[in-house]
Amino acid sequence: MGRIALHDIRKRFGATEIIHGVDLAVEDGELVVFVGPSGCGKSTLLRLIAGLDRPSSGTIEIDGRDVTRLSAAERGLAMVFQSYALYPHMTVRQNLSFGLENTKMARDEVARRIDAAARMLEIAPLLDRRPTQLSGGQRQRVAIGRAIVREPAAFLLDEPLSNLDAELRVTMRAELAQLHARLTTTMIHVTHDQVEAMTLADRIVVLRQGRIEQVATPLDLFNRPANLFVAGFVGAPNMNLLSATARDGRAALPGGLDIPVPRDGPCTIGIRPQHLHPAEPGAPALEGQVTLVEALGTETVLHARTPDGTALTTVVQGQSPLRPGQTLRLTPDPHEIHRFDADGLRMDDPGAAR
Amino acid sequence: MAARLPGLGAVVAAPLVLLARAVDPPLRWWQRVAGQGGMAAVFLLPNLAIFGVFVLVPLALNLVYSTTAGTGILLGGRSFVGAAQYARLLECGDYLDALTCREDMFWTATANTFVFVVFQVTTMVAVATITALILNREIRGRGFFRAVFFFPVLLSPVVVGLIWRWILQRQGLLNLIMVSLGLDPEVWLNDRTYAFAATIGVSVWAHMGFYTLILLAGLQAIPKDLYEAAEMDGTPPARVFRRITLPLLGPNLAVVLVLALIRGVQIFDEVYVLTGGGPGTSTLYLTQYIYEVGFASVLRNPGLAAAASILMGLVLVVLTLCQLRLSRRGAARDAK
Repeated sequence: MGRIALHDIRKRFGATEIIHGVDLAVEDGELVVFVGPSGCGKSTLLRLIAGLDRPSSGTIEIDGRDVTRLSAAERGLAMVFQSYALYPHMTVRQNLSFGLENTKMARDEVARRIDAAARMLEIAPLLDRRPTQLSGGQRQRVAIGRAIVREPAAFLLDEPLSNLDAELRVTMRAELAQLHARLTTTMIHVTHDQVEAMTLADRIVVLRQGRIEQVATPLDLFNRPANLFVAGFVGAPNMNLLSATARDGRAALPGGLDIPVPRDGPCTIGIRPQHLHPAEPGAPALEGQVTLVEALGTETVLHARTPDGTALTTVVQGQSPLRPGQTLRLTPDPHEIHRFDADGLRMDDPGAAR
Repeated sequence: MAARLPGLGAVVAAPLVLLARAVDPPLRWWQRVAGQGGMAAVFLLPNLAIFGVFVLVPLALNLVYSTTAGTGILLGGRSFVGAAQYARLLECGDYLDALTCREDMFWTATANTFVFVVFQVTTMVAVATITALILNREIRGRGFFRAVFFFPVLLSPVVVGLIWRWILQRQGLLNLIMVSLGLDPEVWLNDRTYAFAATIGVSVWAHMGFYTLILLAGLQAIPKDLYEAAEMDGTPPARVFRRITLPLLGPNLAVVLVLALIRGVQIFDEVYVLTGGGPGTSTLYLTQYIYEVGFASVLRNPGLAAAASILMGLVLVVLTLCQLRLSRRGAARDAK
């Protein structure tokens, strides 16, 4: 079991509050990813859950038990550190057994668990090596193995993939997902990489400056971002954000486009690059000059600038004949438009039957 | 608005820049003449000259003195005697009893030094380790305490000796305090055991800051994550120390041990000022013996002193080789 609940968690260092009242429930067996730019408090929040730091106020519950005042060890969680934190002077086997020996566990039970973890992670041939004799990916596996043998209520992973090269990161990401499917233990994974978050998570927690911006499944986050920050943070390339002012329920965009909006006043219209399509000749369209063409083979990212200086990005499938300096006319998919009010909060589409 | 003044750095740098510009052309000319390899020699020369005059030449002279006899300092008045000075030092009925030796004071000093080094180095390593562990914790005023513990290292050994003599002497500070507390005063420096303990205590006090610094650097090089990983596993503090801190501090501890040994064998200034080797010969250590035989006794014997210092030098060479091996092994480990 591993249901983790946070109630109004705050953390101050001296006079500076860096976590401003976080409420969150992570269900048993769920894989939740904390994502956000650096300094958003995601690692701090993980350390508070781990018990390595204490919150200034608020409570933490694991399976309904208040653990706020309990030590890290008493919480029954296991952590995988960004640096792996393997003991350099011990063999892999000793690294795996070190934590278990604290609990006076029977010898054959320790051996059984190490055996099982080594088989699951395919590190059995490495058991008698030292961490310095392992590659980055192997160290990563050992670090995960050290967490697995504890059979914890939940795994806490602090940017576990950030020290790996790009190729290995993709492989390990898939392995982590498989591992979670096999273990069905609660996992909280911290990353600044939104692709990692999207591919791994059951639910994503987007954090900014010590506050939760949105908690949602990856696709919900992509389809219905709750505010401008989430809209800009999730999805690549970044969403196009166009300022406008709505009058009589419609916001006028350059080029004669106008978008229905539920409330009048200043607003921001968001359109993902994937949802901008070439406009029919003569139809109203966003018009711009191509400034940069990124040809990725299967798709092409086009960057353009409108006459009033607004930057536009669009993605077209396949390869594009367009070159910088040429004119691009784009029209948004009317069902894929995001509307945000003056405070940056999502306004619901008046026409959509959701 | 006031005009911006040039920063202190610029003020200090300006004359240096001028100097560098002034010496640049002649040095370039010199390099053309001497070639790049020759230029390296040119830059090394000043340091080599100093090293030669103050280390190499005295070392060679010492070898010469140790093979000659006479009371004179001028080499012309001395006669070659081969290894006779060494033989005289080593002539002993029973090496475990200094009184059966021809140069009984040499053997007394050697035995004293041996016991001193064993106790002093053990105490030093223990105290420096404990101090480093405490200073490595998040305690209030950590910077202040780090400075305080290092401060005695900066003192001249003679000043250290004088301070502690002023504290420990018959009418000293310690006895004054004891009397005011209603206790009987002690003759600290005139009691064999107390005086011996005082030489250990004072030398540890004076030098531990240096070793604490080495150990503190070692402690700070241990990643914090390792301790957090151990904390997640609920590792008891004693086990963390034994299984994580000690093994990872090992190379630093080895360096500290050997350095303390080398410097322990050479102990002189503080003790000479503090006890003068007394009471009797109970705190007479080797370097003081060498000094007194060579320079301070009525019948001074530079040849005998030189031979004794060469013998002591051999012990130090062995210890230094140990230290070099240890630090090389440490460097090789870090490079991995």
